[in-house]
Amino acid sequence: MGCIKTGLDLKPKLLVIGNGMVGHHFIEQLCDQGMNEQFEVEVFGCEKLPAYDRVQLSKYFETGSPDALMLASVDEYAKRGIRLHLGKEIVRLDTENRTVYSSDDEIWSYDKLVLATGSYPFVPPIQGKDRPQCLVYRTIDDLEQISRAALSANSGVVIGGGLLGLEAANALLTLGLDTHVVEFAPQLMPVQLNDKAGELLCEKIQALGVSVHTSRATTAIVAGEHARHRMMFNDNTFLETDLIVFSAGIRPQDTLARQNCIEVGERGGIAVDDHSLTSAPDVYAIGECALWEQRIFGLVAPGYQMARVALSHIAAGVSGSAATQFKGADMSTKLKLLGVDVASIGESRGFENAQYVEVSDNQSGTYKKLWLDETGQYLKGAVLVGDASDYSLLLNQYLSGEKIETPAISLLQQDSDAPMAFNDDAIICSCHQVTKADIVERVVAGDHSLAAIKDCTKAASGCGGCGALVQEIISQTMEAQGLETQKGICSHFEHDRQALFHLCQVDNISNFTSLIGKHGTVDAAKRGLGCDICKPLAASIFSSLENEYVLAVEHANLQDSNDAYLGNLQKDGSYSVVPRIAGGEITPDKLIALGEIAKRHDLYTKITGGQRIDLFGAALSELPTIWQALIEQGFETGHAYGKSLRTVKSCVGSTWCRYGVQDSVGMAIELENRYKGLRAPHKIKFAVSGCTRECAEAQSKDIGVIATDKGWNLYVGGNGGMRPRHGDLFATDLSTSVLMQYIDRILIFYTRTASRLQRTSVWLESLEGGLDYLKSVIIDDNLGLAAELEIQMQKVISTYQCEWKTSLESPEFLTRFSEFVNPVQEPNADVEQYRYSRGQRFPVDAKGGAGTISVKNIDLCTVDNDLDGLATRVSSAELFEVSAQKECEV
Amino acid sequence: MNWLAICEESALPVFGGIAAWVEGKAVAIFNLGEQGIFAMDNTDPATGVGVLSRGLICDLQGDIFVASPLHKQHYSLTNGQCIEDESLSVELYRIKCEQGKVLINTAIVGGINDE
Repeated sequence: MGCIKTGLDLKPKLLVIGNGMVGHHFIEQLCDQGMNEQFEVEVFGCEKLPAYDRVQLSKYFETGSPDALMLASVDEYAKRGIRLHLGKEIVRLDTENRTVYSSDDEIWSYDKLVLATGSYPFVPPIQGKDRPQCLVYRTIDDLEQISRAALSANSGVVIGGGLLGLEAANALLTLGLDTHVVEFAPQLMPVQLNDKAGELLCEKIQALGVSVHTSRATTAIVAGEHARHRMMFNDNTFLETDLIVFSAGIRPQDTLARQNCIEVGERGGIAVDDHSLTSAPDVYAIGECALWEQRIFGLVAPGYQMARVALSHIAAGVSGSAATQFKGADMSTKLKLLGVDVASIGESRGFENAQYVEVSDNQSGTYKKLWLDETGQYLKGAVLVGDASDYSLLLNQYLSGEKIETPAISLLQQDSDAPMAFNDDAIICSCHQVTKADIVERVVAGDHSLAAIKDCTKAASGCGGCGALVQEIISQTMEAQGLETQKGICSHFEHDRQALFHLCQVDNISNFTSLIGKHGTVDAAKRGLGCDICKPLAASIFSSLENEYVLAVEHANLQDSNDAYLGNLQKDGSYSVVPRIAGGEITPDKLIALGEIAKRHDLYTKITGGQRIDLFGAALSELPTIWQALIEQGFETGHAYGKSLRTVKSCVGSTWCRYGVQDSVGMAIELENRYKGLRAPHKIKFAVSGCTRECAEAQSKDIGVIATDKGWNLYVGGNGGMRPRHGDLFATDLSTSVLMQYIDRILIFYTRTASRLQRTSVWLESLEGGLDYLKSVIIDDNLGLAAELEIQMQKVISTYQCEWKTSLESPEFLTRFSEFVNPVQEPNADVEQYRYSRGQRFPVDAKGGAGTISVKNIDLCTVDNDLDGLATRVSSAELFEVSAQKECEV
Repeated sequence: MNWLAICEESALPVFGGIAAWVEGKAVAIFNLGEQGIFAMDNTDPATGVGVLSRGLICDLQGDIFVASPLHKQHYSLTNGQCIEDESLSVELYRIKCEQGKVLINTAIVGGINDE
């Protein structure tokens, strides 16, 4: 099967042995640089799964599946022209003939070979180590074995109290076992932590229910009396357990190198130079299998560095570019072990003649120690347990090698709100070696979001631990630049909504062409097109100011999805129709008329939360006919499609209710008719309650009015929905005229000053000075604006129009409601798009999936599978689709 | 497949979209005046619903897009590619105006737009 390369092959062959994190990173970098085009690339992984995140291995037990850990897939590799052979072990390497052999005797030749074989767990030569249920913790396969073994186990022991051992202990704890850790050294994590830090970590871990046994060497594993195994220790004690996990360190996987006399270290590891090149020509070693200057780097970041260095050397051979060099790596690390924050930097265990600062806080359970050089001026190492929030700053101080200007203890007493002081060359993302300067450069160049920075610098796309820091640097940089753009609503305007509103008002601008021409950015003005953010916003401002017909030629193409067709667009492309039913009061005749119109057009009918009736499933071309009928029956548009006043909900009030003190329905109708049609930054909801029992739930509305025996109490800034908020009591016992005066002023002030799509609740909270400030503007008229606000509201009220009435009176506006511009060839309505349930018509998803987003919008619990005659409640999106398709076929 | 006359050029709204029924499928037409006239499949690939002609035109990243009115994914009028989800794209069709008529050719697909 093996295909030995012949001289006819066009591209040189690059083989990568190993598809772990480092091997995968090599491939990612290779593709990023387009080198997958220049080489024929084959990757061999001896595990059955492609590369996954080994750093977060214990997450497997949280979900019981490796899905969340996966980094690569065969398909993604294939898309880039790379063949990934999984479950294929390369057992022999022939550097003379430049070939490799797999265990099933296939042969591949290479021009360049990269060994990314990683490491394997070290199992100490203890008698009984091969007994059943004595496992290791390294691969997903190992985890599956541990999971299975745990099913028949009550207790588990991890041999080894290092970093990986504690991860394994976490896994056993998650599996519900009585968990123990046995460590040969007198403390936990003896490589990274000093004795006191180890002690605190031990206390914290024991508090979580893990028994820790330090200073114990296991001499033998024999059959137990009460459990499967008995572990014998060197101090003649023993411990019985059902399951044992060895985590006593790792050893580099260097077998292929040893067979070929490629130079390896005394204690293992394939020796590499600064280019990650081994002693064999064109053979590289990267990651945990590689030994650089007698050191193995068991962390992922140095492995990634080696991958990049090897790649740059290969690229240099192709293009003659300069190759970068590996010059060692910092082994500082920060992690969460069993929920405990632990970090170590540099010489974290100290050294002779070191000065130090030690803060041990028994109350908060934290321990921090800084190691300084003999002069006490340079940070040489640090260890943090229980609170690692100082890590980034300390690491920066350590890596920069700069003198500490203040007493060293101040490094631990940073104000957490103060901006972090990083040097430009400080490494922010150690996985991808991204410096602060790299990030700042991109921010200055215009990448202002974390997503954009991740994309172009790769920062925070490795382990992700630096995400918050990267965001902070983005914000700091933008602040430092005094960037006006950060409040610009979109790429076309450097103004926020408030500024644009002001500009339109002052300059008398009432069309988008003038607005973008005068105030858009240079590029935006040139094209004049704008986008789906600035156009609807401009349309809303023009409406608030001038209140012109929204589908007039100069405004129609600015309107958002709903306003654009004066209906509420639904998931299947149809619209819902909502006539105004002011205050929720409707005559029986109008109710009948509404029902008849709905019936005639086969519309799904539902009562809304705002005390009106929503008619669903109208095709675009049906809208004019439906509205013609509604208007003939005395209805008008309900503006349900607009960012404008929706409804004024009311309780029945003093006219019927024996508790009511005021006519809440009458007030609701008056308010709804007064403010209908007002376009605002977002939708506005009102409610009026007839007494203090508050049956209309007015305190959950933007404007809430509650009757008192002396008049009306006014509440502002309430909200239901996603972010509920009770309205603030704004004024009490108001007369009807003062109530309306205040509401006029508040609504126009909101319309002028709020941000795009900002509800009154958030607006009120964002006002500097909050409720008191709003009172001073509205009640005390501190800004001298009151009269102006009232005049503007009067203009809106006096220019009110039912947009559907206007549309129907002007045939030229109605053409936009044609389904197709060439109606002669229009197809028949597709009747199969609907199904019937509970006596009404429902949409069926247009294609198999119909977009998961839209499916989520449906209240699935209410979907019954009627046609099958089963009383099955459908509870998942998948089931819903299945049932919908079935009904479609019937 | 030949060029098919769809409608009068004057029937197209300027700086907006409209749908046409061409050879058994719905096509979204966008008339950007001097900046060109574009045609693409009317179906929003994210949802399978024919609504793209009702989306807003957007000038982004140096290209022209239509924002789906349903969930606001942006599709390029010049290559059909979606900004938010690289696995999504829309079929483009050739379109031109001659003697006041709008002509569409649905035969050739891909990132081609006839000026």
